[in-house]
Amino acid sequence: MNRKVLLAGLVVVLPLLAVLVMNLGRDPHTIRSPLVGQPAPPFELRPVGGGAAMSLASLRGKPVVVNFWATWCMPCLEEHAALAAGARRHGAAVQFLGVVYEDEETRVASFLKQRGAAYPSLMDDGGRTAIAYGVAGVPETYFIDASGTVVSKYDGPLSPDVLSSLLRKAGGAS
Amino acid sequence: MTPALGRALILLSLLFSTVGATVAFASARRPTAAGLVWTRRFAYAFAAAMAAANAVMVYALLSHDFSVGYVAHVGSRAVPTWVSLVSLWSSLEGSILFWGLVMGAYIAAATYALRDEHPEYMPWATGVWLVCAAFFCFLMAGPAQPFTTVSPVPADGPGPNPLLQNHILMAIHPPFLYTGYVGMTIPFGLACAALLAGRLGHGFLRPLRTWLLVPWIFLTMAIVLGGWWAYEVLGWGGYWAWDPVENASLLPWLTATAALHSALLSERKGVLKGWTVTLVLASFLLTILGTFMTRSGVFNSVHSFTQSAIGPTILVFLAAATIFSVLLLALRIDRLAPEGRLESGPGRDAVFLLNNLVFVLFTFTVLIGTVFPLVVEAVKGAQMSVGRPYFDRMAVPLGAVLLFLMGVGPALPWGRATSEQVRSALLPPTGAALGLAVLGFVLGARSPWTLLTLCFGGYTAYVTFTEMWFPVRQRMKAGEGVGHAFVEAQLRRGRRRFGGYVVHAGATIAIVSIAVSSTMGVSKEVQLREGERFELGPYSLTFVKSESVAEPHRHALVARVSVSRNGRELGEMTPRMNQYDRQREPIGTPAVRTFLTEDLYLSVMNIDPPGGQLGLLAMINPMVGWIWIATGIMALGGVIALVPRRAAVALRSERLVVAPGAAAEGSR
Repeated sequence: MNRKVLLAGLVVVLPLLAVLVMNLGRDPHTIRSPLVGQPAPPFELRPVGGGAAMSLASLRGKPVVVNFWATWCMPCLEEHAALAAGARRHGAAVQFLGVVYEDEETRVASFLKQRGAAYPSLMDDGGRTAIAYGVAGVPETYFIDASGTVVSKYDGPLSPDVLSSLLRKAGGAS
Repeated sequence: MTPALGRALILLSLLFSTVGATVAFASARRPTAAGLVWTRRFAYAFAAAMAAANAVMVYALLSHDFSVGYVAHVGSRAVPTWVSLVSLWSSLEGSILFWGLVMGAYIAAATYALRDEHPEYMPWATGVWLVCAAFFCFLMAGPAQPFTTVSPVPADGPGPNPLLQNHILMAIHPPFLYTGYVGMTIPFGLACAALLAGRLGHGFLRPLRTWLLVPWIFLTMAIVLGGWWAYEVLGWGGYWAWDPVENASLLPWLTATAALHSALLSERKGVLKGWTVTLVLASFLLTILGTFMTRSGVFNSVHSFTQSAIGPTILVFLAAATIFSVLLLALRIDRLAPEGRLESGPGRDAVFLLNNLVFVLFTFTVLIGTVFPLVVEAVKGAQMSVGRPYFDRMAVPLGAVLLFLMGVGPALPWGRATSEQVRSALLPPTGAALGLAVLGFVLGARSPWTLLTLCFGGYTAYVTFTEMWFPVRQRMKAGEGVGHAFVEAQLRRGRRRFGGYVVHAGATIAIVSIAVSSTMGVSKEVQLREGERFELGPYSLTFVKSESVAEPHRHALVARVSVSRNGRELGEMTPRMNQYDRQREPIGTPAVRTFLTEDLYLSVMNIDPPGGQLGLLAMINPMVGWIWIATGIMALGGVIALVPRRAAVALRSERLVVAPGAAAEGSR
């Protein structure tokens, strides 16, 4: 046994393996937002197509998924099916909300008419809510637990798998 | 039906590889003729089963059999046949299946090529290969199953990642990379065999070097094909971004290149055997690290497959293989006793050592830069990235030193040189060195590093050419014609030596081209209205108009730009902006026109068809085309050096009969 070789080998190899193990399961798309762990910024916005304004505060007691999106954004259209399926499946326990980002109401309305709306989409006139949440580009999705605290943020189109795992983290799915 | 057949073939491969590995190790411990034969049979059987599984998948892809999970995931009736075919490696499960095919081909080829040789090593080597093979079969049988059954069977599928259809290079680059990565398994097995057998004889170094050279050639081409793809597709005008996955392919290339050099020293002088073996083991482990980096989802990169469940499994394999390698080295390295002596003091031996040192330093530099963000994230919880400045600052001097060593090493005699020898060897090339640097200065090179690189490049080019010419000149002095002398000296006798210098020539051109292209480019960003014109160097560019094109899988905005150079019309170039259905950001496809010494590169930044506005990035990239040519030269050199063993044996015996003592082969 050559102890020098063993020691040198382990000194190089073990820290590297340790770092990889510690980072396992990390998804670079889960962006650390300063909002995570903080109370979700409140908002009160009117739904697309008219109706009474909805406020985040009124949903307290139920986990909320807030998805910032737009019809001009291809990945948003791609994740639409996953979100709609999620809303249909967990709609009783979790409130899904779309917040329209820099888009025209008529285009959003006709899109929702074509593809179906499984949950309300809200108009963010002037983009105040998007600014409060620090949205950098759509789609971005925030997961808020029943007490109104932001649990996680996802950057990019959601797949059904990622959606259900993040829903679990927010306490909204079995 | 088809999914079940595929699954059965994968289970069969798993069976053949595990049983084969067991038989191999048993017959390595207690050698019998039957054990050797059965070890080889299992190796062939594994390769055959893997080939059959791939054939089933290709058939399913081409016949749009959406009952197969992988086909339902990546197949589509709408795509052309070639896209269906390359879908085999377009997504995770298929790429692992393809990996298995390449591995089977390598194992079968190496088993066949070495079937009658080295019985004291081969069962160990085959055993190690089959253990690696068994791991990938396990991946396919468990966490990354390509042959899942889909029910109900969908009528159509989404098709592969649109980027795969965007450029033909994207279809070629992955197979080259896999062939480079997977091939490192063979030298790994041979190196492990040397350690397990407790000796590394002169005769066994030859296959080790040969089987290291094969994946090295593929890896060299794969790395550059990847860069070429980025250059032709991504639109920022560069070919290398120090992205984690790019680095992942560079790391094993660096250690393998170092290993090829130290193996030469081991073969020639019987020294540094443990070091050579260590480098070979490291090259394999780095390919597995690269596989992990691409497939675990831990690293953020344009190349990575999306998050998948196989990350932990690959990490377990990486950890097991790494710790096995370290233990094996610690236990057995002392048995690989040197047979000769390494000369200290100035001489080719010392330059070889220095070359290895720089390559290893380079490897650690890139490895640390790649992994550092993970360390920060793990320790401080903050996200960060190590940018180009770090890598450039480290890589430029290391590359320059390597270039210089490539000139100095071959110029010096083996062993220890006297100061007189050193002077007479090292002084003549300085003229060429200064000449190229002055030429560069006249043509506008001002960056000190570029001038230094040109200087070293001229030096190395002179030495490389002289060394190539030397054996030909010797024969010509003896009265042979130049053509005959060249064929005899370079292509028949000294192929390995000649091949090595061809690789050096390619590498010299590549390093000089990289230095020039990254410091002497000219670029200009302009906003143009239809009909407006601007000048860039000798080029005059006019924005004719923009068009909107709808294609099945993407929308494209195409800018038509007419180009003339020094007043001569060159026609239109059409850079475009593609919006893929499944891609978040639009991707500009640049238009590139290649001339002998430079590329004209046009990339759309923004385009507004109603207003007729175009934001254009125009670049003159000097010598980029030479990087691709240089890589072709390097690969060619590698192929020349791969003298088939039988041909070498034939040549040796011929020499014994025909011309005893007329050995102009080898170096002075």
